[in-house]
Amino acid sequence: MSEAPMDPVESWSERISDLSERRARSLAGGGPERVERQHEQGKLTVRERLDLLCEPGSFVEMGLLADHMDPSLGDRHLAADGVVTGVGIVDGRRVAIAAYDFTVMGGSMGGVGEQKVARMRELAVRQRIPMVWLLDSAGARIQQAVGSVFAATGALFREQVAMSGVVPMVAAMLGPCAAGTAYIPALADFVPMVRGTSSMALGGPHLVKAAVGEDLTDQEIGGADIHTKISGVADLAVDSDEECLAVVREYLSFMPSHNREAPPIAECADPGDRMVPELAEIVPTAPRRAYDMRKVIEAIVDDHHFFPIKPDWARNLITGFARFGGRPAGVVASQPMHLGGVLDVDAADKAARFVWLCDAFDIPLVFLVDVPGFLVGSQVEKQGIIRHGAKMLFAVSEATVPKVTVVLRKAYGAGYFVMCGRAYESDYIVAWPTAEISVMGPDGAVNILFRKQIEAAPPEEQEQLRLTLAEQIRERIDPYIAAGWSAVDDIIAPAETRAAIVRGLASTRTKTLDRPWRKHGVLPV
Amino acid sequence: MEVRAEMVANVWKVLVEPGQAVSEGDELVILESMKMEIPVAAPAAGTVVAVAVEPDQVVQEGELMVELRA
Repeated sequence: MSEAPMDPVESWSERISDLSERRARSLAGGGPERVERQHEQGKLTVRERLDLLCEPGSFVEMGLLADHMDPSLGDRHLAADGVVTGVGIVDGRRVAIAAYDFTVMGGSMGGVGEQKVARMRELAVRQRIPMVWLLDSAGARIQQAVGSVFAATGALFREQVAMSGVVPMVAAMLGPCAAGTAYIPALADFVPMVRGTSSMALGGPHLVKAAVGEDLTDQEIGGADIHTKISGVADLAVDSDEECLAVVREYLSFMPSHNREAPPIAECADPGDRMVPELAEIVPTAPRRAYDMRKVIEAIVDDHHFFPIKPDWARNLITGFARFGGRPAGVVASQPMHLGGVLDVDAADKAARFVWLCDAFDIPLVFLVDVPGFLVGSQVEKQGIIRHGAKMLFAVSEATVPKVTVVLRKAYGAGYFVMCGRAYESDYIVAWPTAEISVMGPDGAVNILFRKQIEAAPPEEQEQLRLTLAEQIRERIDPYIAAGWSAVDDIIAPAETRAAIVRGLASTRTKTLDRPWRKHGVLPV
Repeated sequence: MEVRAEMVANVWKVLVEPGQAVSEGDELVILESMKMEIPVAAPAAGTVVAVAVEPDQVVQEGELMVELRA
């Protein structure tokens, strides 16, 4: 029996120092010059971002030693192949993270990097934990992607669609996100954007100039102002990377880790039965007068703290998260301050999307109603107000989470239905003494009900007759009639609003709704 | 700085006149639509250069109402 060959003479210390060097090289990202450039642009590096997002020392990186593995790039080292991936602890829960590193070849999406991100999506679904993208990327690494190899790609979006509503998805916009990759935020649940540095667009400046002749910057095409005020694609504009990561943490604090877990309940020192006398100061009794519903919300939620979603788009309707007695809830509220709180196509869109989000993750809904109805006229009909209104109707009808409705003043027509009227499985519906629930207001109704009678009167008497008849209709619009028919559960003083909502939410913890089986409904969009 | 109508509406009240200084958030015009009063506020502080609307007229979406100079 011959002796085994001698092992090569190499000590452990050499092996370990080689590993340390490889790790250090990857941790350095694109090197000091590019890191400096990143800082000059007002952006943090990917590692600094992860430190702010995750609890200290909690980030478990997977794929630190990844590289491009592309022979055409030769000896060039691409740290982590341009995207840092792993699982970290955010607000006490494990979260899968894909953080693009702009210092490494512009954070471009290469083959290995995308395999790493695919692994994060896979882990997020298998372990039922949220997925967070920190986006700061020039887009696909065209050197690798161009040509008809493209025919086999695109699974990332299909996988993201399959994840939707299973685990929470957040896409934080901390830099550019050009071309098709803009569908990553488009398919995520929550998309904050940093003003001035982040952008998203299906076509960046060069492509836009070549394709349609517009000469614009990436900020002009798809900056935070565009997407949080005009397009409604993003949810919240923030001023810095630090603020952006803080809102990601806070957003997740309202979310369960997955769709079969209850949303987290926070400690709450704010008494559930706290009276809110200031509401009588905020809301005028005159139905035509505007006021700021945001003040109403801040007065009634735990610790006066409200986390708005899309506050700068479709401002005639407010959506956002808050807590009542420690329980997270989604608030959907009319905003009389803007466009009189009327529902238009964008407001309906915003509400539908938000209701679907809350319903997916078992977050109860609170509706604060002061709505003159859906906007009418040729303009909105051309925009498809009917299908957009139907979308909101669809979302609110479908939602099986606990629903509480407070009618403050106006609740007219289909506006009342989509703001979770009694027939929409509201679990507790209460009205203020100022509530006007009716198919339409007296001034509109009079012209329909009594048109012939008014036209038959002498012209000089028509206006007076119209006012008299409107007054007769007004007498029939009375919350005590609704309460008399038991069509609302109670009439409450404004000061009792918080207590009523806390009560309403507590009484619905065992809510069970069984719908007939279907593959899915046919969604109006 | 141009303040334009966000929706089709009747002009109910005009609260400012040329030359007047306004702060951010001051009401310039109150529109009336869908039986609601719709206050239109100054987007930033400035001086009113021109008022292009008067009470009881109808404004279309996007129509200029008030011009401000910062």
